[in-house]
Amino acid sequence: MCYISTSCGKKINMSYQLYRNTTLGNTLQESLDELIQYGQITPALAFKVLLQFDKSINTALNQRVKARVTFKAGKLNTYRFCDNVWTLMLNDVEFREVHEFVKVDKVKIVACDGKSGEFNG
Amino acid sequence: MDQMLSPNYSIPSIGTPLHQMEADQQIVPNPIYHPPAPAVPEPAVPPQQPDAGNSVISGSSGSGLFGHEPTLPLPHKQIQSYQSSASYQQQQHQQGNNVGGGTPQSLMQPQTPQSMMTHITPMTERNTATGPDSLSNIHQTMGPSTPMTPATPGSADPGIVPQLQNIVSTVNLCCKLDLKKIALHARNAEYNPKRFAAVIMRIREPRTTALIFSSGKMVCTGAKSEADSRLAARKYARIIQKLGFPAKFLDFKIQNMVGSCDVKFPIRLEGLVLTHCNFSSYEPELFPGLIYRMVRPRIVLLIFVSGKVVLTGAKVRQEIYDAFDKIFPILKKFKKQS
Repeated sequence: MCYISTSCGKKINMSYQLYRNTTLGNTLQESLDELIQYGQITPALAFKVLLQFDKSINTALNQRVKARVTFKAGKLNTYRFCDNVWTLMLNDVEFREVHEFVKVDKVKIVACDGKSGEFNG
Repeated sequence: MDQMLSPNYSIPSIGTPLHQMEADQQIVPNPIYHPPAPAVPEPAVPPQQPDAGNSVISGSSGSGLFGHEPTLPLPHKQIQSYQSSASYQQQQHQQGNNVGGGTPQSLMQPQTPQSMMTHITPMTERNTATGPDSLSNIHQTMGPSTPMTPATPGSADPGIVPQLQNIVSTVNLCCKLDLKKIALHARNAEYNPKRFAAVIMRIREPRTTALIFSSGKMVCTGAKSEADSRLAARKYARIIQKLGFPAKFLDFKIQNMVGSCDVKFPIRLEGLVLTHCNFSSYEPELFPGLIYRMVRPRIVLLIFVSGKVVLTGAKVRQEIYDAFDKIFPILKKFKKQS
């Protein structure tokens, strides 16, 4: 049994881009693509927006989110540590937030160092 | 990792078959020292040093007993390491000990009534003794059915067999490795070049840890038997091969073995250190155990008040057994009376 509490992903001069592949990040990218297609913004501007998104979501998750979810995995299937990124594959994971309870067969965790790139705005 | 390699796989491209030789035969009597490649610093590989005196316990990831032990000061190292066995025997006799350094077990005088009940266990039998075997051994020696023969002096052997806890082995894969590629593609791998210049990889069966260096040298730790250590090293070699490196499997060598056992009585370490001061050091403020540096076989023993004994520095299993057979009568002399 392993028991982990969540924390990951902050920023360097250039922030981690790992949140681009979230619902929020994906929809933003789609919208930007559309705007570029209609010629309403330049690709350079879209790029700048995405960089700002990386920065903002990292600070927001770091400072504004107060909710805490705990989870407990039945088994650590595999792990990897390379380029300062931990990749963990968990089996039989239970997520818990006060009353809510979700059970998942497989979870992949990608965790980056929060300290080394800490950005103090 | 489980499906990565089944236990009965065969590696045609790695030259040697799985059970080519018995573990004892694989070990060269006069081992050649293979230094690590000069390009790669290998700070955490004490088993590479042939000097058993310095490698008290190395890489005991499997045993978990004394993983982070500080190096202890060795005030009398020169004297105790190179004392001849003859003077050792002499010293033993001066202490009124019937058990000389080189005296065979069968010649020992019984020291307690318990030892009269025991019968002599041949060394060859011990060699193959594994878990259930050693258990039955205990039953034989301790069992009520054993006839009391006070006329015949029995062996001092109480049927305690040291259990192997950790084996460290090295092997040369004979090809330069791209560690980053290995870390990215293999499972259960760690690679943090800022901290340590090797990939740390683990497998579950046999439960072991390997350090893989870019020079192609590999250290395998944590196995509980010679065969397991070799099997694990081959599995790691196979994983490296599957990642596209032309890995071979050369110069497999067991560098260190750690055993432990429990004599089941408390020991007066203060008395032991006084009479065996050439071999032992006991600094309870530094480390609660007595460190006994046996010369023949060259084994380091950690002896604790509780009666637990850790034996390390062996290249072959028999050295652990011999060392325990030699230390046991001494320990019995210093049994705590209370």
